[in-house]
Amino acid sequence: MDITELTSKVIGDMGNKRRWRDYKARTKRLPDSYRTAVEAFERYLMHLGPGGGPAIFEDLIDLFEQSAADSTPIRAVVGEDPVEFIEAFARNYEEDSWKNRERKRLADTIGRAAEDQATGS
Amino acid sequence: MGKQITEILKGTLEGIVLAILLTRPAYGYEITARLREQGFTDIAEGTIYALLVRIEKKGLVDVEKIPSEKGPPRKVYSVNIQGREYLDEFWTTWSFLADRLAQLHEGAE
Repeated sequence: MDITELTSKVIGDMGNKRRWRDYKARTKRLPDSYRTAVEAFERYLMHLGPGGGPAIFEDLIDLFEQSAADSTPIRAVVGEDPVEFIEAFARNYEEDSWKNRERKRLADTIGRAAEDQATGS
Repeated sequence: MGKQITEILKGTLEGIVLAILLTRPAYGYEITARLREQGFTDIAEGTIYALLVRIEKKGLVDVEKIPSEKGPPRKVYSVNIQGREYLDEFWTTWSFLADRLAQLHEGAE
C-alpha cells in the first residue's frame, strides 16, 4: 500500500467515524418511538445488513427525521412487515459490501467452470 | 387483493414511480400520497423511499434538496433522460406482459 492510498484510507476511516457519530447524535434527537424504531433497524443492519459504510444509516435517519417531522405513524412508514422493508432498503447498498464480493466471486468461478467444460479442458 | 398485489407490484413499482414523476417532480411523501389516491392503499412510505434511493443510485432521476418548514430538507426527484429511456422500455415490457397474460386468461376460461 503506498502512502496516498494509506492516507486516503485513514482519512476515509476518520470521515466514517465522524459520520457515524453524527448519525448517532441525530438518532438521539428523535422522538422516543421513532428512535426505538431506528435503533431496532440499526441492530438488524449490524447483524444482517449489507456491510459497507455509514451511507445506509444516514439515509435511514433522513427518512425517520422526515417522518417524525410530519408525524407519519411508524406503521405507515415501514408497513406491515418491517423485515421486508429493511431488506428492500439494504439491497440498495450491496454494491460495496462483502456480500457482493462473494456473489461476484461465485459468478466468476462458475463462469470459469462452465468455460472449461465447454472447451473440454 | 392484499399480499398478492404486493408481490406483483414489486417488479413494476419502479416504472410506476417513474411514470408518476414524469408528470411532475415530487418528494417521497407526495409520491406515496398519489399512489394511495390511485388505490394503492397498502404501500408504505418507507417502501417508496427505498425505491427512490435505488432509482437515484441507478441514475434514473435527478435530485434537488429543498428546505422544508419542519424537519430536514426534502429531496425532490425528477426523471432525467436515462429515466425516460428506462420508462420507455418499461412500457414496452409491460405491454408485452399484459398481452401474454390476457391471452393466458382467455385460454383458461
